[in-house]
Amino acid sequence: MSFDWSVVWQHREALLAATGMTIALTVATMAIALPCGLIVAALRLYGWAPVRAAATAYVELFRNLPLILVVYWAFYVLPISTGLGLSPLATGLAALALNVTAYNAETFRAGINSLRRGQTEAAMALGMSRTQALRRVLVPQALRRVLPVLASTWVSLFKDTSLVSVIAVSELAYVSMQIRSQSYRVLEMLTAMAAIYWLLGYPQAKLVDWIQRRFAVTE
Amino acid sequence: MTQTTPHMLRAMASGAKIIRYRGVIKRYGDFQALSGVDLDVHAGEVVCLIGPSGSGKSTLLRCTNGLETLDGGDIEFEGAMLPREERLLRAVRTRMGMVFQSFELFPHLTALENVAEGPRTVLRKDAAEATRRATAMLAKVGLADKAANYPSGLSGGQQQRVAIARALAMEPDVMLFDEPTSALDPETIGEVLSVMKTLADEGMTMVVVTHEMTFARRVGDWVAVFDAGRIVEQGSPAQIFDAPLTERTRDFLSHLGWTG
Repeated sequence: MSFDWSVVWQHREALLAATGMTIALTVATMAIALPCGLIVAALRLYGWAPVRAAATAYVELFRNLPLILVVYWAFYVLPISTGLGLSPLATGLAALALNVTAYNAETFRAGINSLRRGQTEAAMALGMSRTQALRRVLVPQALRRVLPVLASTWVSLFKDTSLVSVIAVSELAYVSMQIRSQSYRVLEMLTAMAAIYWLLGYPQAKLVDWIQRRFAVTE
Repeated sequence: MTQTTPHMLRAMASGAKIIRYRGVIKRYGDFQALSGVDLDVHAGEVVCLIGPSGSGKSTLLRCTNGLETLDGGDIEFEGAMLPREERLLRAVRTRMGMVFQSFELFPHLTALENVAEGPRTVLRKDAAEATRRATAMLAKVGLADKAANYPSGLSGGQQQRVAIARALAMEPDVMLFDEPTSALDPETIGEVLSVMKTLADEGMTMVVVTHEMTFARRVGDWVAVFDAGRIVEQGSPAQIFDAPLTERTRDFLSHLGWTG
């Protein structure tokens, strides 16, 4: 069996662009899922009962569906049911954001719930509204506490972006697979893909470890 | 026929009634925390609520600024019924300072930021004015040099003094203290009580839930003894501590080893 690693170098530009897309997808998904997760968490904690129920239903639905199913669903069902013709990229981004928002909402909710009730009461006793108490007192503390969890979610998300390859978003997994099927260099392309994911993922995982040590709650 | 009672003397000596509790009832499920409490707090007075744990003193204090809702009776503050509507209640809370047993400073903010937070966020003062107030209040509780410290870098007594400064920065009409020294090491209780004594001397109206009988005796103007959700006796400190009228008060004080 002979290897031809030149195929990787030959397609370096495509692979680089695809890697850029993977990173961009991760960043864009988090940029949506952080504020949205916070809003969903707040609705679940303090919302009017029907709103609370809706937020809970959303979280429990998307947290318990396989991401790849959500991706397919968004690709096939969303355009039919809403008449919305989204690009594969926008569809993939929507699916990822729906999933990660549900996770982040749970993370934020747990973080806020982990704070002593007295903190809310101290804020209320000063005359703060619920929103002010959240913004000035609860969220800043909860954020520090859940930063390690958010960082782990980030690392999972970075790898999970590969799932949107099934709807032809030109991120790293999709592009590698394309090159593989054109060049028949299966082992080389899979190895290259593994190397790129690992080289980018490993420092992130180490960073998460550091964040977990740095922000460990001491009270 | 007419005898001068402590109640009459008090009415003559003190300012207007600033808080009136009338038949206050509070339940937690099957547990009746307050079963009809009547009490007046006059302007400028230090009213101490004493009694065994679980007798309802803290619950009454927490009803005062609406942290707990009433199940019966009513509370009047500065001539108006305590509102139930959240927005109106918030306006009332800005005029009542509250100090908690467990301090509840905001751990992500420095001492100065903790004290400035109320003026800044609630009273919407500009940053300079909020900082000016906070600096003055920290100086008042003797902690000007700890302005940049985070709560985790302060002793319990210092944290509680910052908490008092935080409440004072709102320039409240009344201060509510919920067992302010119960979570403190014995050696730091004194510094907190002395700040409270200074406030009392300046004429601040204060409602104090406390187990510090010496403080209630020396600083209090009026003492209410709680037992099982009721006030079993109220009167001047002299009456409560030297000549208690009820068996319950005598029991409670003797359990604490109070000898006068």
